[in-house]
Amino acid sequence: MNLISRISARSPWLYRINAGSCNGCDVELATTACIPRYDVERLGCKYCGSPRHADIVLITGPLTVRVKDKVLRLYGEIPDPKVTVAVGICPISGGVFRGSYAVCAPIDQYIPIDVNVPGCPPRPQAILEGVAMAIEIWKERL
Amino acid sequence: MGFLGVLIRNLVAGPSTDPFPFGETFTPATLRGRVEYHPADCVACRACEQVCVGGAIRFDKTPEGLRFLLWHDSCTFCGLCAFYCPTEGITLTDDWHLAHPQSRKFAMVEEGTIPTIRCAACGAQALATAPAAALFDHPPTPAEVEEMRSYCPRCRRKVAAERKAS
Amino acid sequence: MPESLALLLSVAVFPGGVFALGLGLALKGVDRRLAARLQRRVGPPLMQPFFDLVKLTRKRTMIPDVACRAVFLGAPLAGVVAMLLAAALLPVPGLYEPSPALGDLLVLFYLLAVPAVVLMLAGSASGSPFGAIGFSREMMLMLAYEIPIVLVIVAVGLKTGIGRGEGMTLSLTEIVRYQRAHGAFLLDPAMWPALLAFLAFFPANLGIVPFDIAEAETEVLEGPLLEYSGPALGLFKMMSAAKAVVVLGLGICLFFPSGPDGLPGLAVHALKMLALMAVGVSVLRVSAGRMRIDQAFGFFLKWPLALAVAGVAAAVLA
Repeated sequence: MNLISRISARSPWLYRINAGSCNGCDVELATTACIPRYDVERLGCKYCGSPRHADIVLITGPLTVRVKDKVLRLYGEIPDPKVTVAVGICPISGGVFRGSYAVCAPIDQYIPIDVNVPGCPPRPQAILEGVAMAIEIWKERL
Repeated sequence: MGFLGVLIRNLVAGPSTDPFPFGETFTPATLRGRVEYHPADCVACRACEQVCVGGAIRFDKTPEGLRFLLWHDSCTFCGLCAFYCPTEGITLTDDWHLAHPQSRKFAMVEEGTIPTIRCAACGAQALATAPAAALFDHPPTPAEVEEMRSYCPRCRRKVAAERKAS
Repeated sequence: MPESLALLLSVAVFPGGVFALGLGLALKGVDRRLAARLQRRVGPPLMQPFFDLVKLTRKRTMIPDVACRAVFLGAPLAGVVAMLLAAALLPVPGLYEPSPALGDLLVLFYLLAVPAVVLMLAGSASGSPFGAIGFSREMMLMLAYEIPIVLVIVAVGLKTGIGRGEGMTLSLTEIVRYQRAHGAFLLDPAMWPALLAFLAFFPANLGIVPFDIAEAETEVLEGPLLEYSGPALGLFKMMSAAKAVVVLGLGICLFFPSGPDGLPGLAVHALKMLALMAVGVSVLRVSAGRMRIDQAFGFFLKWPLALAVAGVAAAVLA
């Protein structure tokens, strides 16, 4: 079982949820995926299009009121075991939008978060660091 | 068919991937990362609290003195605080290793306290802030700074006026 | 060894079953690594597809409320079985010849259509609108590429049959034997139109860029596979891995089965697959963008069809 867990931990598929982000963090996520310098595929990661395939969920954005129900539904569609990473300060604390009537931040009131990657936006290396941290947590959950 | 040339060149040139997270990576000199607070240089003007876009900076009056708190999970690393700080009491480092597990969420804090003291001259309660440059007519020595720090604002002005006059 | 046991072994172990799966996953690993290198990335480990498969066994299978349960779970299983069977139908030049009891090229051709049908079933059984879009796109694409591939098979069958002084042959074993005796069709200019038509067909059948229209991640969220998770998705991955071996193997048997006998023949066979995968899949994948479904439909009814017709004519006349 231990061997299977160890092998499984080398194939974490990433899924992005944009919870009302300004797209700054999404651009950085795309950067980690697409630019040869930050090649996230080395860790066995792959961005997948469907929440059903996801292992590590990357959430950006302050969870706006409009998108809240959709994000919660989407989160429920992701099969266990899963690890959640909050990318950028918006999901972690609300960031510059904290206290606005239009956002429900911080996101950990609604979704259990495992790793936080602060930054506005975080640099790609920081995101890689957060993903590596998430993989360690995921290994224990398998 | 130009793309074939590009592909062959890519294949020959080899990967251009940064070794991180398995190895070291580069950090640009101007990168704005983790914020550092130096209570000894702070004049407690609280301009940083005013200009902070993320609302990350907070000053609290505590029995020990004036406490500075900066929560990195709310900081946009815009650098406005460092820009407006008159004494470089707050600076941005190039440390970007800020990813942390959820259990450390509220530990991502930069903290510092300007202690409350009794004024060495009049005995009134005051904050031991760094003295403003206008108090001196010459670049002060560290000893002069420490002496000025031990006075309350009113005594500082008095002492400075006497010295400038003499 | 009784014949039934030999048949079972050929389907379950070699060249179908375990062997086809392993080879298919290894080919996928090489493809991902090579594609990464072509983009100046490091890429995943070569064993990545195996890791993915192991990982998928540890995930939960979720079935949508609106899904038809039996079809939803049965479809990937049918796809895998069909592909393993198809792999046993293909000769490995110089080493393995399928028993006539298993079937001929026609059976293989029908088995090759099963993955597409299975994807359509999966897409419609999942009850997801994206699955339905994937269904319709897969259907259109299949209608478009089936005609050229039939004509390619007819061209090769006719060429072999005429060469042996009879009508058309539909036995892959005969086609391979004929080419090993008289030279590969790859070197015969009369067969080049058919070869080109085949080269256009196989990326569409494998569902890779620019023909991954039915499973486009960025457009229809992987279409028919959208609702699949865990082991069921793993079965689809196994199916596509085995399909790569079958389609590449079919190409090699139809056009270039030359090589030594015995185990070296197997190595040469695998190397040829690797080369075809590298040129036809990896390079194409990183250098092309995805077509629209109407563009792909028009493309297949224009060039590959014309080439395949020319191929049949050339096979008869030359």
